[in-house]
Amino acid sequence: MLSWLESTSLALWLRESPSIWALPTVLTLHTAGMAVLVGTSWMLDLRLLGVGRHVPLSAYRWVFPTLAVGLFVNLVTGVLLFIKNPTTWGTAMPFLVKMLLVVASVATLVPVRSLVLRSDEGPDVSRNVRLLAIASILAWTGAVTAGRLLAYLVP
Amino acid sequence: MNLAHLHLVMNHVPTVGSVVALGLLLLAFARRNEHLKHVGLEVVFLIAVLTLPVYVSGVAAHREIRDRPEVSEDVIKVHQDAALVAFTVMEFAGFVAWVALWQWRRRGRAARGLVSGATVLLVVALVTMGRAATLGGEIRHPEIRAAGAALALSAVEGAPAGDPERFMTSAIGQVAVYSYWAWPAAEAVHFLGLALSFGVLLAVNLRILGVMKQVPFADVHRLLPWGMLGFGANLITGMFFFVGQPGQYTASTPFYLKVAFLVIAGANFLYLTVFGKAWAREGNHGDGRFDASLADKAMAILSIALWLAVLYAGRMLPFLGRSF
Repeated sequence: MLSWLESTSLALWLRESPSIWALPTVLTLHTAGMAVLVGTSWMLDLRLLGVGRHVPLSAYRWVFPTLAVGLFVNLVTGVLLFIKNPTTWGTAMPFLVKMLLVVASVATLVPVRSLVLRSDEGPDVSRNVRLLAIASILAWTGAVTAGRLLAYLVP
Repeated sequence: MNLAHLHLVMNHVPTVGSVVALGLLLLAFARRNEHLKHVGLEVVFLIAVLTLPVYVSGVAAHREIRDRPEVSEDVIKVHQDAALVAFTVMEFAGFVAWVALWQWRRRGRAARGLVSGATVLLVVALVTMGRAATLGGEIRHPEIRAAGAALALSAVEGAPAGDPERFMTSAIGQVAVYSYWAWPAAEAVHFLGLALSFGVLLAVNLRILGVMKQVPFADVHRLLPWGMLGFGANLITGMFFFVGQPGQYTASTPFYLKVAFLVIAGANFLYLTVFGKAWAREGNHGDGRFDASLADKAMAILSIALWLAVLYAGRMLPFLGRSF
């Protein structure tokens, strides 16, 4: 299955096209999507940890559509980057760790989202939510680091 | 005009600029004029921003003249080390000046220690910058060589001639090339810093554009130091890349585009920190009545566009140029 994916013309195009619109643009969009996704997620985490704690949580509703945009861009570009070398990446430990961390980070957003949309929280959130915020910060840090190191660890 | 020429034109900005900024600050202290202090700090910040292209163009100038027989490589390297020290002090001065300006906007006044701290750092920057400038002048003007410069060179000449680590910039290059972890680790930090500073800029600029209107401007303004933290991490790691492997950047067009975008984005960041009615403290009723002006909204859009351009030029370095 992975080797079939690697032989598709899309994979070939991503690997070998000299065009600036092939791999370079996909990579750059993946980086911009990362900035939006991780950066926005961290802004919400900072608020949950008490930075600007008198700002009502409901004011942070904007982060969810923004996160959705970042997540969508990076899912599409991420799948494309994976298709480029599926046989090596599909079995590479740093890649699998990265995927696990991304899923974990996005998973922390689900309970946080319902909390923000409910918007009946006072300035301080519960201890569990603060732990979620810390988990989110650490998981994104790990995911970004693993993603960047992929370039060095996986040929 | 080539890059060596550009360096000759721009290298006066940090030296002369520091004198002007120091004059403004000292005058402000003498007259107890708070407004003048504010102006002085803004000038310090802008000079710190403009020092980046001065350093970068200097390294490019090195590439253009090093093969000439009348130019001594050691004299250039001594100048380069002095310039790196001066650049670092100048960036610290700019950073402290920025924190003072940020506090000013937030609380109506800056902590007194910060303004004095920025002034002291500026004096150190001026001294180190003056030394770098003198050593730089001696590259093509041996007739001005002074006793101090001879000392700087002799300290270096004490080391064996072939020792690649006798110059600070070369030692950093050794780490960049031979350390297994340094470069990848710096790349990872560079991406984390990118995400942090972009998140802050997005929150601040979206607020100016009218998202989360019920939140007072001051509450997003207080996020700015987090953005500065991310930017600081990226300035340090970015300079590590540039000092460590200058050759691959000095020959790269997207790299110069990135530096140019950074300079404009730096000026824009100063605007976000200090200017605009949008940030007026008396306007913070938190009831959404206080909308940003059209000019502020244009600056917010420009800010996002500029930082995306910095990101684009940086990520495209291996593809539009040949660096990595």
